[in-house]
Amino acid sequence: MKKLISLTINNRPCEVAVEPRQTLLDLLRNDLGLTGTKKCCDMGECGSCTVLLDGNPVNACLVLAVQARGRHVVTIEGMETEEGLDPLQKAFVEHGAVQCGFCTPGMILSARSLLERNPHPEENEIRMALSGNLCRCTGYQKIVEAVQAASESRPLRKEGD
Amino acid sequence: MLLPKFEFHEPRSVEDACQILAEIGPEAKPLAGGTDLLVNMKKKLISPKALVSLARVETLKTLEPSGGKLMMGSCVTAARLAESKTVTESFPALAKAGQSLGSPLIRNLATLGGNVISARPAADLPPALMAYGGRVILKGAYGERRLPLRDFFQGPGQTVLRADEILTALVLDEPAPGSGAGYMKLGVRQALEISLVNVAAFLAMDGRDGAVKKARIVLGSVAPTPVRAYSAEEVLMGERPTEALFSRAGEAALKDIAPIDDFRASADYKRAMVAVLTRRALREALEGARP
Repeated sequence: MKKLISLTINNRPCEVAVEPRQTLLDLLRNDLGLTGTKKCCDMGECGSCTVLLDGNPVNACLVLAVQARGRHVVTIEGMETEEGLDPLQKAFVEHGAVQCGFCTPGMILSARSLLERNPHPEENEIRMALSGNLCRCTGYQKIVEAVQAASESRPLRKEGD
Repeated sequence: MLLPKFEFHEPRSVEDACQILAEIGPEAKPLAGGTDLLVNMKKKLISPKALVSLARVETLKTLEPSGGKLMMGSCVTAARLAESKTVTESFPALAKAGQSLGSPLIRNLATLGGNVISARPAADLPPALMAYGGRVILKGAYGERRLPLRDFFQGPGQTVLRADEILTALVLDEPAPGSGAGYMKLGVRQALEISLVNVAAFLAMDGRDGAVKKARIVLGSVAPTPVRAYSAEEVLMGERPTEALFSRAGEAALKDIAPIDDFRASADYKRAMVAVLTRRALREALEGARP
């Protein structure tokens, strides 16, 4: 039997009917058309389905859609601003941190969560924060460089921001 | 992979959750972080008739020191353990074990209780919890039990938890001044790794330059459950801590283990690593005891 749940996705409140056995990943991709969140191993190992749940990165394949009730989900589609790509996304483009692109949404969301908590991380902190996101193309170097560049261009937070 | 069908319950209290588990029986499973349970369901290893989500039971999320004890609700995530000020300051070996579990994505979901009740011999949290002398609180439809964590495990995936019971909390005593603990995990990579060998050690020292007053060493991945290395602890008791003593303790720990050859490593390699990692965990514990 489907359950009606309310949640916020990319700052927009929405109400959806979900099967208990439906994962958050399948809700996003199949019902809501948010296919920027990728489905790969579906076992919590690769990180391609990373979304932010109340600000924390998680594997959307390991969260039941009903468990997202009342919570705020941010997907890669929620990163873009009115001025276009987010600076972190631009850094990925400029540093060639994208090859096949399948891990990219997850990488960017994990990196965003890191930069929210720690705006100027060391290289090892970046590698640690991305350690749940597997890339089989690039060897990670350019991805780490893109996150470093984004953190360097990021203004120091103002009081009250 | 589609999950098998199940009834879904979302009780708001431990009592209601236990009631539902008791009514449905062993075919109902409590759902916490889901990082093991949902994967096993996707692989069709298990198909519970009902899942009882613990997400809305707020009392299971407490992480509070009080009266010389730390009470940790079973639904505290590994990420919270790794980041909490109380845990990092008073129980650094547990924070380190929490930080070693899975990946950042997994740590934001996986819970303390889940890592304990799944009873995997290589799990990260049980050795650290046992080294601190942890106790579990089990609540069921018919009452409550409290027991030392070392009496909770029976074998791989096997515990004394009954189908109508929920592990609600783990309790640790605040370590006395002059004590410290360490945690060492060996894997072939830094993240998303299951331990080849993991070791937690706790030392209480008799005064600043004194001898070892109390020692607890717990070894993971080298027996059907995490095991206390009593032989190593005996070597340490009443002795002044030196590298040579820690090496002897590491060698003595080999008497308390029964590692097996598997795809992760040979039993011989695990034995060799137990000696090394026990020494290193003791070194880290001593540094904590004498900052």
